[in-house]
Amino acid sequence: MSLREDCLPIHERILPIAARLVPAARRPEWRREWQAEFWQLRHRDGKRKTNPKEALSLSHGLLADAAWLRVDWVRVSAQGSASGCLWVLAVYCLLCAVVELVFVGSWHSFARTLAGHFTGGFVFVAVPGVFASIATYPLRPLRCDEKDLPHASRLSARLLSRVSARTRWNLFLSAKIGLTLALVFLFSMVTCLPIRAAIGTRADWLELLMWAVLVTTGLRWALLNQEQRCQRCLRTLSQPIRVGPPSRNFLDWSGTELACADGHGLLHVAEMQGSWCWYDKWVELDASFQGFFTA
Amino acid sequence: MSPGRLSHSVAMLMKALSLGYQFGFEIMEVTGLPSGTVYPALRRLERDGFVTSHWEAEEEAFEEQRPARRYYVLTRAGKEAEAMATTRYPLLARLVPEKLVKTQ
Repeated sequence: MSLREDCLPIHERILPIAARLVPAARRPEWRREWQAEFWQLRHRDGKRKTNPKEALSLSHGLLADAAWLRVDWVRVSAQGSASGCLWVLAVYCLLCAVVELVFVGSWHSFARTLAGHFTGGFVFVAVPGVFASIATYPLRPLRCDEKDLPHASRLSARLLSRVSARTRWNLFLSAKIGLTLALVFLFSMVTCLPIRAAIGTRADWLELLMWAVLVTTGLRWALLNQEQRCQRCLRTLSQPIRVGPPSRNFLDWSGTELACADGHGLLHVAEMQGSWCWYDKWVELDASFQGFFTA
Repeated sequence: MSPGRLSHSVAMLMKALSLGYQFGFEIMEVTGLPSGTVYPALRRLERDGFVTSHWEAEEEAFEEQRPARRYYVLTRAGKEAEAMATTRYPLLARLVPEKLVKTQ
């Protein structure tokens, strides 16, 4: 068996497997590039021979390259997305819970401590906080009523595309507030662990104070974050641009415009709120604007 | 990736690009860096705007009876970063030899 026959199967077997890792949009170009690289290995110095060790080494590069493209694609897709936001909050909650569990020692003690702290003080701080925040939150009217979600290829996206924009918006807001409150609760408990070990039950007062501050801050963040999201894809808006001269506030509109990176719409944030604009104004863009946003 | 914080491997890769080595396999051979470092580093440099890529003309590749290659070239920002890296790692010029002939 020649060396070439030995090595070709490595390339032939790994290339299709690695290609599945590469995002679909970049796959044809990526395959073409790697076929050229493998050709170079086989025909180096005019010889039509391949060292199996070198072929294996290049296959390692092939896999590393495909993995890097996939990881980068996931990073870019998750950046500013609703699911990315919920995942980050959930991971932080889990980390705090693990620290607490390690400190108390057993599942039983962990559950008892959580229940004790939750009913013993947290609900008295969180419930009025949630009520006050929601009641004073200027609900921006949702303009987007379309049911189609962009890139609805995955199962979760297809399921979400069946619900209205308003339901998606409210589901995300509720999940974010729930996770923020859970994080605040767990983070305060973990932070007060060493203090409680030092000064005993007097640490409860400090914990209560911390809850009050963190619940207010956390809820404020959750609501502000919601205001700066696209109504259709729930991705964080970007590219802030100043519009209008501030000196003409009484005659003309002045403020900041934020855009959805996928071109779904623009958010006008007035510099001064007036009787004619109590909340930020969302302007939906139709498909004719897509060319300005696609790379 | 900040130009002031380029690793030695990436600096070597950029040096190779500045000397006219243009595609992954060629860069891998001249720098001696493993393929698992070279290809992801090229992608990262391209994403960060230090490198741009283009396909070789089909006719040129056809004349040499081989598939067209994807060539990588330093951008203006890449050239500036490479100059900074050369100042930081003065021995780079000795590690990567000048390109004399076009690779077949």
